Amino acid sequence: MPYIGVAAGWGNVTSAATALANQLNFEDLVREHERMVFSIAYHFLQNGAAAEEVSQDVFLALFRGLSKLESRAHVTFWLRRVTCHRSIDYARRNKNAAAEVSWDELPEQPPENNSAQRGDPMLSKRLRQVIATLPEKMRMIVILRYQEDAGLEEIAKALRIPLNTVKSTLHRAHAILREKIGAAIGEGNV
Amino acid sequence: MKRIGTIVALLLATQLTAFAQDWDPGGTLKKLSTRASKTVDVTLDRSMLQFASGFLDAKDPDQARARKVIADMKGIYVHSFEFDKSGEYTEQDVAAIRDQLKGPEWSRIVNVRSKSEGQNVQVYFRKEGEKFKGLVVIATEPTEFTFVDLVGPITPEDLRALGGQFGIPKVEMDQNSAGKKGESK
Amino acid sequence: MSDKLEQELKKALRRVEPPASFAERVLARAAEEEKPGAPLRPWPQWLGMGGLRWAAASALCAALATSGLVYHHERQKQGEEAKEQLMLALRITSSKLQIAAEGVQQMNSPEENQP
Repeated sequence: MPYIGVAAGWGNVTSAATALANQLNFEDLVREHERMVFSIAYHFLQNGAAAEEVSQDVFLALFRGLSKLESRAHVTFWLRRVTCHRSIDYARRNKNAAAEVSWDELPEQPPENNSAQRGDPMLSKRLRQVIATLPEKMRMIVILRYQEDAGLEEIAKALRIPLNTVKSTLHRAHAILREKIGAAIGEGNV
Repeated sequence: MKRIGTIVALLLATQLTAFAQDWDPGGTLKKLSTRASKTVDVTLDRSMLQFASGFLDAKDPDQARARKVIADMKGIYVHSFEFDKSGEYTEQDVAAIRDQLKGPEWSRIVNVRSKSEGQNVQVYFRKEGEKFKGLVVIATEPTEFTFVDLVGPITPEDLRALGGQFGIPKVEMDQNSAGKKGESK
Repeated sequence: MSDKLEQELKKALRRVEPPASFAERVLARAAEEEKPGAPLRPWPQWLGMGGLRWAAASALCAALATSGLVYHHERQKQGEEAKEQLMLALRITSSKLQIAAEGVQQMNSPEENQP
């Protein structure tokens, strides 16, 4: 059927051009935000493979909805929000598999750019271990607050929960962290 | 959540029949949209829901849940407005919409107000005899107004899903997680 | 809340590098999604097959097929848009119902409220 060649050729050329245009733009966004997205998922799930799975899905969702996003700032907000929600969903879906993670089973932190800012690696590990035991909402609030340096209102919007809930949850998280870190390594270390 | 669960169980013991609408009493929603800095208008009637359903990915948990929720729905209408500053809409504007929900077929089952945040969420069910035929949510904040109208049958699972799925983390109020006293009224 | 603890939290939760070639894997998956579903035949083998009559008939067929592809593409686009709208509507509904549920929970558990 001769027309198949013409139609397919035409369609192929145009879709390839569109794909190229999209890909360039998309690639920039992936490279710009991969650390943020992966880190949120990683700190929440405490599992590199799971974090990669979630992060890839987040970027694919971005790819599909790219035309709907209004600005680069919107992309950042959207990615942060979707990563939070997908990480939480992932954790729920795999709750049984994840179950309880013992303190010693948690993975080491993947490599980072600036090793000078690492601080005390043992203390950091302990903190991450305690964070991993927090309830999911509280854990995500702590991650957004201290990984992303997000404001309270920003967190409320990202998780779509009331501002006062963010405040009270963060307050309780601090209390738990103080209590658990105090018990684990001595209050004086904090 | 207990009360919601009870309401859901009572309510959804019956299958809901549909009524189709996307009403805008007195053009209030249209008026608000002209003042809003950001507007979300989603109008999906039965045919559009069916059309959209065909594109939902069964492998994606959110989309799989969405497919179940909308399976027998007749329409989903969501209008959400964000304003640059408070005072862009008045209590009268909201009252014009609430007035439409005062008929005997409507039951307001939840009215949550947060004084500190100026947040107010009201949930209404439309009832005909013992049958529930729709759900309306009116949510107001100083700089935000949201109107949701779900038309058609919803199962208890659907409502539970709506309470904490679709990428939105479910609020799990543990023993210590309640907000400050007086936050909700 | 001590500043020290906050500083330590920032250090513990510093951003980390994704695994090697993460971006490439994402781009590969995105590219995979871009591929048309059906295998394509190579560019016109039919050109050498006949005269003007063949060319005219083929041009007509090509136009029809093209319009079919355009229609399919448009429909796909509309479907994706409808799906996005639906998911957005459900997300908004979900978030508002959650606020209501949380409020009800607080009202039901006054003893749990903290000063």
